[in-house]
Amino acid sequence: MVRFSHKSLLRSGPRRRKKTLYEHIEPYLFLLPALLVFGIFLYYPFVKTVYLSLFLTDKFGQAKLFYGLQNYYDILFGKYSASFLNSLVVTVKFVVMVATGGLLIGLATSLMTVGKFPGRTFSTAIYAMPIAIASAAAAMSFRMILHPSIGLLNASLGTQRAWASDPVWALPIMALLTIWLVSGINFIFIGAGLRNIPEELYESASIDGAGYWRKFFHITLPCLSPTLFFQIIINIINAFQSFTQIRLITQGGPNEATNVIVYSIYLDAFRNFRFGSAAARSIILFLIILVITLIQFKMEKRSVHY
Amino acid sequence: MFQSLTRRQREALLRVGRVCLNVPFVVIIMLPLLYTLMMSVKPSNEIFTRFFPTTIDLISYRHVFTKTAIPRFILNSFIVASAVTLGQMITCSMAAFAFSFLEFRGRNFLFLCILATMMVPWEATIIANYLTVSSWGWRDTYHVLIIPYLCSAMGIFLLRQNYLTFAKELHEAAKLDGCNNWRFLLTIVVPLARPALGALGAYVFLNTWNQYFWPLLVTDSNRVRTVQIGISQLYDADSEQIGLMMAGVVVVIIPSLSIFVFMQKQLINGLMAGAVKG
Repeated sequence: MVRFSHKSLLRSGPRRRKKTLYEHIEPYLFLLPALLVFGIFLYYPFVKTVYLSLFLTDKFGQAKLFYGLQNYYDILFGKYSASFLNSLVVTVKFVVMVATGGLLIGLATSLMTVGKFPGRTFSTAIYAMPIAIASAAAAMSFRMILHPSIGLLNASLGTQRAWASDPVWALPIMALLTIWLVSGINFIFIGAGLRNIPEELYESASIDGAGYWRKFFHITLPCLSPTLFFQIIINIINAFQSFTQIRLITQGGPNEATNVIVYSIYLDAFRNFRFGSAAARSIILFLIILVITLIQFKMEKRSVHY
Repeated sequence: MFQSLTRRQREALLRVGRVCLNVPFVVIIMLPLLYTLMMSVKPSNEIFTRFFPTTIDLISYRHVFTKTAIPRFILNSFIVASAVTLGQMITCSMAAFAFSFLEFRGRNFLFLCILATMMVPWEATIIANYLTVSSWGWRDTYHVLIIPYLCSAMGIFLLRQNYLTFAKELHEAAKLDGCNNWRFLLTIVVPLARPALGALGAYVFLNTWNQYFWPLLVTDSNRVRTVQIGISQLYDADSEQIGLMMAGVVVVIIPSLSIFVFMQKQLINGLMAGAVKG
């Protein structure tokens, strides 16, 4: 039923009924819970982190002595620089291994599940499954796999190595665990990217007599490159934030070989109670992630991928 | 190479090839979980002596429920994850509604403010948050695990994206019928947005269930401690402990896996929206 008598229908154009006070504030009421949570647990702590990074603090995190940029100087060039720069190097190595490893596994598994075969549904479910597994649960499971005397890794290689405390192997092993954790999301995104490639491209290539690898290098890879780029950024950001598996398996050791940046923030704040210096590390982590995100935005805007 | 084969024969051969290719990968991805499962049912006298168990022994599972605080941790995680999930559904629905249906001053600016939160990794603010909640005496409570996570930019985007597909006329018509915005959101938008809300819910519940860093910092007692902290406190001192630890991991993974199995589609949709943050 249409009510022609209604005022707002009769009045046309911009001369509408004046809004009441309540109608003015109503939209903000809808936003209030969200803004409260973000304000208290995101904006405020962010500002507080910047503030803390300029101070020396007591054991309880109270800012005690204005220190200027000295915290930043200490970790980048001064007394804590050896440890922090090591953390940066370790993190970059770790991130490179995880980002490429995750991408390769994701690419392989999504390519392998393209055609029809018995057990395809099961295989795709298994490839996606790691998205559901907590890093803590996976870390506990890997702790057993890496066990020096009864672990699966030693049993299958016939070795007796203490992998988690081996200065050479500890970091690659932690990367391996993290690759397992991110393999699911890589499979899902790259698989979705593959399905978006127009079928006609492959059909016309087949007519031209192109084989599998020719099609792979001339159609699949170029069409998939925006997805792969996006996914590698996601992997990098994820890997930069790794903490749980390091804390549960290596505790940053041996001799800081796996002391990635988030773990070093944790040690600084909650073992050494240097909250100011830990805040400065957090800001550096923030800046690194910010730069990576901006690179992603910039590249996406260009959107020329082949 | 296969020119002499018919098309059907070639297709059959391809299928066999695909199976041969996939089997080793499937096994490798499943291996950590299969190994954990195997260790959890291995009799304790075989833990150090045999690789494969000769019998299946479920005693470790009984111990998980009788000798450890894991049942309490499961209850705690359920309370926290349900509260966070419900809370995010409410706060994100409201915010997404304002951004997709209402006109107001500062709309774009506020939207940018929320966009900006995606740039800040949670790890970068965790120290300041820890100091804040400690100064409020919030440590070791349920609400310290819940309140900071009651909203997410990802949830707002996911729902807003969905709400924008609804016709504006729907809102206009409801207004003419005298339906206010709150009732419109609750009785018309929310039922229509059920798939998106399901995606958000599955994703948020799983993420909260799997959380480690924040609960590690702010919980001190078994009263509120959550599952991931709980299992990481079981340690591998002797053979009995190893079985117990592995059984604990299996028990804690079961809810995550169930969400994955039964809500795979929703979970993946949520994940795709959430991956923007990473």
